[in-house]
Amino acid sequence: MECEFQVMSIRKPLSKILPGMNVVGACLTAGALLMTAPDASAESRGYAISLIYTASYSDQDHCPNGGNGGPPEMKQRILMSRGYTREQAFKIVASNDVDENGKTIDFRMRGTLDGEPVSVAIFPTSYPDPHIETAQGRYAYGFNLDGKVDSSSFEDPETHEQGVDNQMWRVLGCFTNYQVRRPVIPYNESIVWDTAIDSMPAWLVSISGEDLSKDGEVTVTFDRALNIVMRNAHGQVLRGSSYTIDSDPRSHSVFKGRIEDGVVTVEPADFFMQGESQFYAVLRLTQARLRLTLHPDGTVSGVLGGYQPWLDYYHYLSIRGENDGLVDLPGVYYAMKRLADADPDPATGENRAISAAYYIEAAPVFLTNGAGQIVSTAYPGDAHEPGAPAQRKDGAVQQNAVAQQ
Amino acid sequence: MRRLSDLAPALAGALACTWFVSSAAQPAPAPAEAQDLTFVRLTTRQYQHSIHDIFGSNVEVKDNKVAPGFRDEGLLALGTRKLTISSAEMEQYEDLAQDIAAQVVDPGRRATLMSCRPDDESAADDECAASFLGQVGVLLFRRPLSEPELRMYVSTHSEAAGQLHSFNAGLTAALAQMLVAPDFLFRVEVSEPDPQRPGQRRLDAYSRAARLSFFLWDSTPDAMLLAAAESGALLTEEGLTAQVERMLMSPRVEHGLRAFFSDMLGFDGFATLSIDTNLYPKFTKYVHEDAEEQTLRTIVDQLLRKNQPYGELFVTRETFLTPSLAALYGVALPRSQELGGAIPWVPYEFPEHDPRVGILSQVSFLSLNSHPGTSSPTLRGKALREKLLCQKVPPPPGNVDFSLVQDVNNPKFKTVRQRLTAHSTEAMCAGCHKITDPMGFALENFNTAGEFRTTERGEPIDASGTLNGRSFDGIQQLAQVLKETPGTSACLITRAYSYGTERKPSREERQWLTALQSELAKEGGVRWRELMHRITLNPDFYTIPGAATLTVQAGR
Repeated sequence: MECEFQVMSIRKPLSKILPGMNVVGACLTAGALLMTAPDASAESRGYAISLIYTASYSDQDHCPNGGNGGPPEMKQRILMSRGYTREQAFKIVASNDVDENGKTIDFRMRGTLDGEPVSVAIFPTSYPDPHIETAQGRYAYGFNLDGKVDSSSFEDPETHEQGVDNQMWRVLGCFTNYQVRRPVIPYNESIVWDTAIDSMPAWLVSISGEDLSKDGEVTVTFDRALNIVMRNAHGQVLRGSSYTIDSDPRSHSVFKGRIEDGVVTVEPADFFMQGESQFYAVLRLTQARLRLTLHPDGTVSGVLGGYQPWLDYYHYLSIRGENDGLVDLPGVYYAMKRLADADPDPATGENRAISAAYYIEAAPVFLTNGAGQIVSTAYPGDAHEPGAPAQRKDGAVQQNAVAQQ
Repeated sequence: MRRLSDLAPALAGALACTWFVSSAAQPAPAPAEAQDLTFVRLTTRQYQHSIHDIFGSNVEVKDNKVAPGFRDEGLLALGTRKLTISSAEMEQYEDLAQDIAAQVVDPGRRATLMSCRPDDESAADDECAASFLGQVGVLLFRRPLSEPELRMYVSTHSEAAGQLHSFNAGLTAALAQMLVAPDFLFRVEVSEPDPQRPGQRRLDAYSRAARLSFFLWDSTPDAMLLAAAESGALLTEEGLTAQVERMLMSPRVEHGLRAFFSDMLGFDGFATLSIDTNLYPKFTKYVHEDAEEQTLRTIVDQLLRKNQPYGELFVTRETFLTPSLAALYGVALPRSQELGGAIPWVPYEFPEHDPRVGILSQVSFLSLNSHPGTSSPTLRGKALREKLLCQKVPPPPGNVDFSLVQDVNNPKFKTVRQRLTAHSTEAMCAGCHKITDPMGFALENFNTAGEFRTTERGEPIDASGTLNGRSFDGIQQLAQVLKETPGTSACLITRAYSYGTERKPSREERQWLTALQSELAKEGGVRWRELMHRITLNPDFYTIPGAATLTVQAGR
């Protein structure tokens, strides 16, 4: 058995590079080290994602019919479709879903399958399409993914890029929960993320380049950590904390790009991040784009966009249910299916992916690989924050941890 | 939790009796001799170490929150001679005693601690109980139990077992009774005439064993030490030397070292430390928890494992970090633990260019000697003077005006140094600030939380200062000065001696300590084991200078 790696023009049998190791072990070990080997760039800064959420941009124009509301309004509509008057429906909802006969209505089980009531979260097509209101208007965060500017596209409210593809926003934007604008975050996503990060591996980003204080080429790398995110006394991600990069190649996404005036943009590439959270079980995007701003306080923030399997997001919501997810699940299901704009199924021709954009914020941290080498530092080379290891121009950082106990 | 008195009504009076009977039941005195007894209350840690060393470390000792006492001559240890036990503390001890006793006699553990088994689990077995209680009594009271004492505890067992139809319950009651006895909660030091020094008194053999043990191990004497006391070997130079050398090779020496430096460096202050996390969000509860341990690990590593001289503590770049401390210090710390794993302590060496050097640049010293929201060269300088140089800094006068010093938003005086310098122009303040501030200024590159900084409110930090005519700029130079200053090691030696004897050294002892310092300096500095060796082999270490102790005359 022979295992070969071709990295940076080196092509040798691994058994010759790492003598004495069994071949399978050598392949795994070398793969892990190469995966997290320090970038040859002169400067590499690490970050832990402190927040990620659907990039919502709400204004007065985007839901001309008043929007879909939240669970109370949805329930009222359902009851009215069953023959109740508006007043009767309001009274039932105000009575914790107890009807005039004293019976509690289980809205979740409003679907019907083979004549039996079923959960609409699990069987969304067991209930007819309620035709939720979808977002209109001029603005939505994101990127022009398909290169076209047409009636289905938006304008990014910050960059004013035209032709922004964000059909996910179109589906979600008229639910009260999503009718927010930064710094307000969709409630269901913020609370889930804030809970999840205390028990799931940290999501990491590194930005590497010759000199990040100047314009030039950069590499942006996303990885998952072996460690849970650390918080400071305010509950925020602890600046300057250290994370070991998980060598699992699945959650390793690399983007080539540029930094100009402190803003990083990248060429399209695929993005994959395995989560361990109820909500973000996985985040995967094809033709992903990124725009990250490096702030003077050392943090970064920006937008990650691309085409996402729309069932992924539907699953996030269905796990939460309508009361926690704060959406009409069959309505979202049908709308996503209808508005999906990429990855047509070869058999049916139906699109399986939907354009989407997420806002991300990240705090400066140290990143190390499985061998304990520092891959990315939390602070710039001049270490304006305390005691940051001096970084040499060759990108190496002095290794001071003597050994693991 | 039920109290002992609830366990068996007949025991209600037994507890109270313990305080009288056990003290009166000392080993039989020589007829015509008066006996000096002094009492030293066990510290929280000594209590815990004793339980673990006697019954095993898997016996849980719940946090006993008895008051730490007060400092005397810079040490809590000296205050332990003047401590009593309040009724509230007695209740805590009683709860602890019952909990520990129940764990010890638990059938799963009892089998490894008892050499006998009761004939009937539902009844008293006085013979078996006497065997067990006599065996653990020696270790708990650090001396053999007298016949009346043992009878009393066996009687407690017998009564409780009879009422509750349980051998175990009876044994629990008796053991708990022992654990609240003054003979356990206090070290009862017994003196006797010193045959080598007519007119002077020395500790008797068992008291000598206890002093040695709590000094070197912060715990109760083990069976070998008690055996040396029983045979009288401990009163001979040869026997004492053998025991000291054996004890210094024991891993328990680490407990003794930790206890001493916790006391000397004032780590009891962590219990009440308050840092404004609105201003210093990196000072998390984990940093608060890890700070003391970092310094103690550094000290153990340098002084015990590496046998470095004391001065190295101020200049070493080697330490141990947790992820939280590393983040506060702004350095990377590779983490190997998987999700949910234990937080590791990682050996770490700060690089040459890093400003952090020695234990004074660790968060323990920096945060303990700061105000909650701002650093304090005065508090830090005072701590350096008092804790490390054994000097006394007078308290500020009652009518001092602190308004300028506390005006952190003063546009004219942006840095603490500038405010203190202006404040010190007042004659009533200048005297003391001249003593403290020049040393404390050297630590101004570290804020209240211990984070490094080069500016304060936009102004560059001036970290220059002086000590005994030597100038320095910043922690690295201050550390070197402290390492080389003879007063630093002199202070350690004096503190260690006072800590071990729990009293102030006499004039003769101070002379001996000065000579010892010179000898150790010639040998390359003060090394912990060597210092302990010299102190514990000095006969004065076991003498009782009557005037310096609280003495209770008890007729024998």
